[in-house]
Amino acid sequence: MFGSLRLQRLPSAHPGIALAARAAAIFIALFVAGIAIAIAGMNPIELGGRVISASFGSAFGMEDLGVLVIPLILTGLAVAVGQQIGAWNIGAEGQFYAGAFAASAVGLFVPGPQWMILILMFIAGTVGGAVWILVPTLARAYANVNELITTLLLNFVATLLVYYVSTGPWRDRSGMANSATPPLSADVPYFWGIVHWGFPIAIGLAVVVALALSFSKWGYEVRLVGSNPSAAKYAGIPVRKHLITVMLLSGAIAGLAGMLEIAGTVHRLQGGISNNFGYLGIMVAVLARGSPLGVIFSGALMAFILNSGIILQTQGLTTSVVLAITGFILFLTAIGDELSYYRITREKA
Amino acid sequence: MDILTGLLTTAFLAGGVLALAALGEVLAERVGVVNLGVEGLMAMGAITGIATVTSVPSPMLGFLAALVVGALFGMLFASATVLLRANQVLCGLALTLMGTGLASTIGRNYSGMPAPVTFEPVQIPLLSQIPVLGPAFFSQNILVYLIYLVLPIFFSYLMFSTRHGLNMRAVGENPAAADAAGIPVNLMRFSYVTIGSALAAGAGAYLTLAFVPSWSDGVVAGRGWIAVALVIFAGYRPIMAALSGLLFGLITALGFIGQARGWPVAPAFLSMLPYLGTVAFIIVPVLAWQKMRRAMAAPAALAVPYFRDMR
Repeated sequence: MFGSLRLQRLPSAHPGIALAARAAAIFIALFVAGIAIAIAGMNPIELGGRVISASFGSAFGMEDLGVLVIPLILTGLAVAVGQQIGAWNIGAEGQFYAGAFAASAVGLFVPGPQWMILILMFIAGTVGGAVWILVPTLARAYANVNELITTLLLNFVATLLVYYVSTGPWRDRSGMANSATPPLSADVPYFWGIVHWGFPIAIGLAVVVALALSFSKWGYEVRLVGSNPSAAKYAGIPVRKHLITVMLLSGAIAGLAGMLEIAGTVHRLQGGISNNFGYLGIMVAVLARGSPLGVIFSGALMAFILNSGIILQTQGLTTSVVLAITGFILFLTAIGDELSYYRITREKA
Repeated sequence: MDILTGLLTTAFLAGGVLALAALGEVLAERVGVVNLGVEGLMAMGAITGIATVTSVPSPMLGFLAALVVGALFGMLFASATVLLRANQVLCGLALTLMGTGLASTIGRNYSGMPAPVTFEPVQIPLLSQIPVLGPAFFSQNILVYLIYLVLPIFFSYLMFSTRHGLNMRAVGENPAAADAAGIPVNLMRFSYVTIGSALAAGAGAYLTLAFVPSWSDGVVAGRGWIAVALVIFAGYRPIMAALSGLLFGLITALGFIGQARGWPVAPAFLSMLPYLGTVAFIIVPVLAWQKMRRAMAAPAALAVPYFRDMR
């Protein structure tokens, strides 16, 4: 049918093609979104121009992007870390809320100097996130229960918990609005404009994790478990121990994202503090092909897409459009990933 | 109505959503495809149902429209996962994000509006006179009978008592052997993923046309994921899937009764029950029923794409 050409599936994907497939996926998804906007009776090119000038045309726009990049890098890193050992942490959304919840408890009720409160909030946030993934982790490690569903279901529990405390016992009783807690007693200082110190922390953490995975004995063993668990076990690597630490680390990073979001950006605990950061983190990790360093770039890209959605809200669109477009990009990426395993070869006569 | 009847009535009604979606997922997983897009499919079905009955006041038409939309999305998913053999987990998550986002976007104009027409309860003659079960089960809307009786019995018979069902399970257990025996693996997978997706979207329409019945953002609230989990709990069996749907309906009903009777527990905690219950129900059986493990095991080729050329 194709003459002497035939399609061959290779044992490993070509990274360049996989990357090109990602670029193509984003391009196609945005193109389709543009067509949908045009069908809805708006001018996609004009809207696109408005988004770009609002994002990059002023310091304020860049600062907005910077604020969104922080949680997206961290939730993306959380998912990517799990992927390194072959675990799907789809519960970053819940760990984000759990971290925000635990950090708020410190920020609301513990007296003391700012720096001490911040350190305690940091600890509480990471521990909160790790605690939230503890049951799925142990279930996976000891009973081989699929962590995908258990981590995801706990998202709903965490969301309900934060909703309950912020409209119930921890509610701000001084003001008119009664769906949030009072302001927290400590704030993460600003780094640049309205971008707080979470920005360098997130990037630094991604770099540290990347270095640890690439150059330490621990990282080598973790990657080995991720690529071939039975070979790793045969080689005497403590598979279960690594699985538990990596999954807890993943939860802690997502919890840190929640802590930084309330202590740096929102300054009080309320329902809906996450703009689907946990779910978008899956996308960030997949776009980065699970690479902790790649997460910095795909996180920035995702921040731009999310920010575009927020800007377009004034044009009668909702941020749920972003979720739909993200899903579409993910869908095309999955297809592109599979196609990047193929090579067209010429049959020798 | 006494408390037991009330509890069971709500349980049957609430469990129908999960039972129908879980049934659809059983079909897909039995042929070896894990579809994690159920949550998104339900959202699309839910908004399709509401949007349809707003223009044409027929709940049945709304339900059928949801089935069609679900089948279309199912074909999209199956094209990627079965024909192109893309990663099923990624495509499923993508479908969930797409469906949820798209449904919220479309649903903005329908938010908070009660369904203009809904599925009305039908009294089955004689049977509805049975104490407790009569008012609780035989006085429900017509979909309830479809979900708890017709579909599970039909699919159970199909799966375990026909040649076609044997072929179907062979595709999920060992696609290479099935292919060698002349069973069309891809066609089988494509068809059942499509049917399963249609049922998931139907469950969404059931939610907005029979159970809630209105659309609001986030109305699906993780029920799709609970349905996926129930399939594991139900050991990939249609009748067990319907029964576990009912069990979770009972948990939901307990929450409702607790709220109505003013139990000293915050409603938010009662709302957590189904999620926590699901986590418990997929962990506990693994620990408790070691002997049942083989009988309840997942199809061997679940989530594994089939490459004929790499047999």
